[in-house]
Amino acid sequence: MAGQRLSRRQFVRATGAAAGAATLGANIIIPGRARAAKTLKILQWVHFVPAYDEWFNKKYVKEWGAKNDTEVIVDNIGLAQINARATAEVAAGKGHDIVQFNWPPPAFEQQVVPMNDVYQELERKLGKPIDLCVKSTYNPKTKNYYALSPSFTPDPVNYRQDLFAQVGLPNGPKSWDEVRTGGAKIKKQFGNPVGIGLAQEIDTAMAMRTIMYAWGAHEQDEAGNLTLKSKQTLDAIKFVKALFEETMTAEVYTWDASSNNRAMIAGQISVALNAISITRTAEKENPDISRKIQLTKALRGPARAIGLEHVMQCCVVWKFAENVEGAKKFLTDYTTNFHEAFVAGEFYDFPCFPKTVPDLSKLIANDPKAHPPDKYKVLDDVLTWATNVGYPGYATAAIDEIYSTWLLNTMFAKVAAGQATPEAALDEAEAACKRIFAKWKEKGLV
Amino acid sequence: MSILERETAAGSLARPRRRPLTDNPRWLGVLMIGPAVLYIVLIVGLPFVLALYYSVSDITAGSRSLNFVGLKNFAAIVGTSQFQTALRNTFVFALVSQAIVLVGANILALALMRDFRGKWIVRLLLLLPWVAPISLGTIGWLWIFDSLYSVVNWTLQALGLISARNWPMWLGIPYLAMGSVITVHVWRLLPLATIILLAGLSSIPKEIHEAARVDGAGFWRHHFRITLPLVRPIMLVALLFGLVFAFTDMIVIFVLTRGGPYDTTQVLSSLAFFTGIQGGDLATGAAIAVFLFPLLLAVAVVFLRIARRTEVT
Repeated sequence: MAGQRLSRRQFVRATGAAAGAATLGANIIIPGRARAAKTLKILQWVHFVPAYDEWFNKKYVKEWGAKNDTEVIVDNIGLAQINARATAEVAAGKGHDIVQFNWPPPAFEQQVVPMNDVYQELERKLGKPIDLCVKSTYNPKTKNYYALSPSFTPDPVNYRQDLFAQVGLPNGPKSWDEVRTGGAKIKKQFGNPVGIGLAQEIDTAMAMRTIMYAWGAHEQDEAGNLTLKSKQTLDAIKFVKALFEETMTAEVYTWDASSNNRAMIAGQISVALNAISITRTAEKENPDISRKIQLTKALRGPARAIGLEHVMQCCVVWKFAENVEGAKKFLTDYTTNFHEAFVAGEFYDFPCFPKTVPDLSKLIANDPKAHPPDKYKVLDDVLTWATNVGYPGYATAAIDEIYSTWLLNTMFAKVAAGQATPEAALDEAEAACKRIFAKWKEKGLV
Repeated sequence: MSILERETAAGSLARPRRRPLTDNPRWLGVLMIGPAVLYIVLIVGLPFVLALYYSVSDITAGSRSLNFVGLKNFAAIVGTSQFQTALRNTFVFALVSQAIVLVGANILALALMRDFRGKWIVRLLLLLPWVAPISLGTIGWLWIFDSLYSVVNWTLQALGLISARNWPMWLGIPYLAMGSVITVHVWRLLPLATIILLAGLSSIPKEIHEAARVDGAGFWRHHFRITLPLVRPIMLVALLFGLVFAFTDMIVIFVLTRGGPYDTTQVLSSLAFFTGIQGGDLATGAAIAVFLFPLLLAVAVVFLRIARRTEVT
């Protein structure tokens, strides 16, 4: 009633009632929809190819859910937030049933359901998985598959064909020396620097390892022993310093994971190591530049021509997941039907079980969106030149921590910027790696 | 029997009714402050105790069991050059940004004390950096400093001050990167410090200013001898807030540089995140995160004591 004052008691009661109603309202007042018998919650990244998320979230999981009487809930988050979210879920002992990492997550092994049985079933149906997949999801120490990897993303060399043609390399660089000499000429004549990152981000982490492996340098040997400190690593560091000084600018110290995409599509740089997201984006946003960007295979170094996977899709099922069996079935079915994902993702993700995409060579050799249509044909033999983080060993928890804390990125960047000698930077990185290896050995995971 | 009589009779027969808690000022106080205390204990207190515990354990991101390892984590990190660089950067970042905030907030607060047309809109604009989500604001700054699309560089180039091949890499050269993160941090904290100082300035009785004016005190003498001593308690509170923020927050650095180039803007809070969450070594990450706690606690105690001692009653 107008003019009537609320007593203190009435105010507290009214506020309490309102708070209660607000809390319960969503559950009581909003009518529920028909619920499936089970629920499956999936956490994964926002795919670099938007068409993939469109297909996966709106078509694939809905169809799978209908067939399996399961409501599938997909949460897409930014790439950089995945580790933080996974750590929070482990701490809480609650979260999604399936979490997809974009790199091997061996540090989480104690919290995940071993995938050995899923691999066995898939192997029976689809044949052996590729070595890259095994090296990225298997722990030889515990004999467990801690994740299932349905697919990986190739990491070819993206180069400006028009620029390289003008410095005598019409088919692009085939070796790191050609990147250095050709890149220096292009920078001098046209002002376009080479775009290999030297920052605290994943593309740099991949590129520096690619160079190391091409020089015969490695973080570890096949048996998992630390082998970072070597003449080969020193030579690789010296090469990156020369490459930076002759072909690049300080821009590469500022980059994040998408900076090289933007710089290439803006027509600024001559070379980048990246997935085909650069060319796919260019095809949609800038067809002119798309015609100028071509792909080539892993570059030759003094030891070998080798490249890395760009993204390794590694799916884990938590031990505390509420629908472990549903999660395993989903992963088995998704991997078996990977052909659909390959097409929906516009060839961004390649299968870890090659039999799932038997017409892969044919598809990538004639893509109507590409300029020319056989642009992606160079990826046909990717398995002969792509390897895993931690090569020639497995992607262990120690390797993962070295990778995720950007230790090697910083080592290379410091030397390139003249902030440390190659020897001092290597000593510093080696000391940090030793501490990391010792810790994980003590935990029994390495 | 009238209604009043009936109620009185019924009331005399019934047992005396207990006063509800909400009518008891003592309990009402507890009830009102309880949620706030509970919030602080659950959201701040418990995680902090957990962080202290983690820092002397061997916990990792992928494990839920932990063993006590004493000060092993601290011993392992303090000798590393990465930690020492981060420690040095933390002090540079915090002290330089707070010095600028303090001076800037004084100037702005004095300006806003005066009456002028459109004062309310200036106050509103001033508050925006504080009320806007910091991650969004910082992403805006990321574009301002971007190596390809920097609006600053475009402007400088349009004015003919730099050439297209000679763009400054704001986040790629160590001293420019540190300058950039400090600038954004100052931009973010300046409104809060200004508002706090403004409140302090408003609380000074006008008679004091008038007396100083009558005595012939000039602007500087008036400001340094009268105004500043009177707002010192509240200024110390603003400084304390700012220092704690600068020593413990990592959003600006995480969004702009992620500690780069090559760790030259890495501070303890960002290093703790990269080590603990990104790298999975929760124990070492926690050790890095709580490393400065004793120092910050001491600073807080000293500041609050000075503030109380100089408080005007």
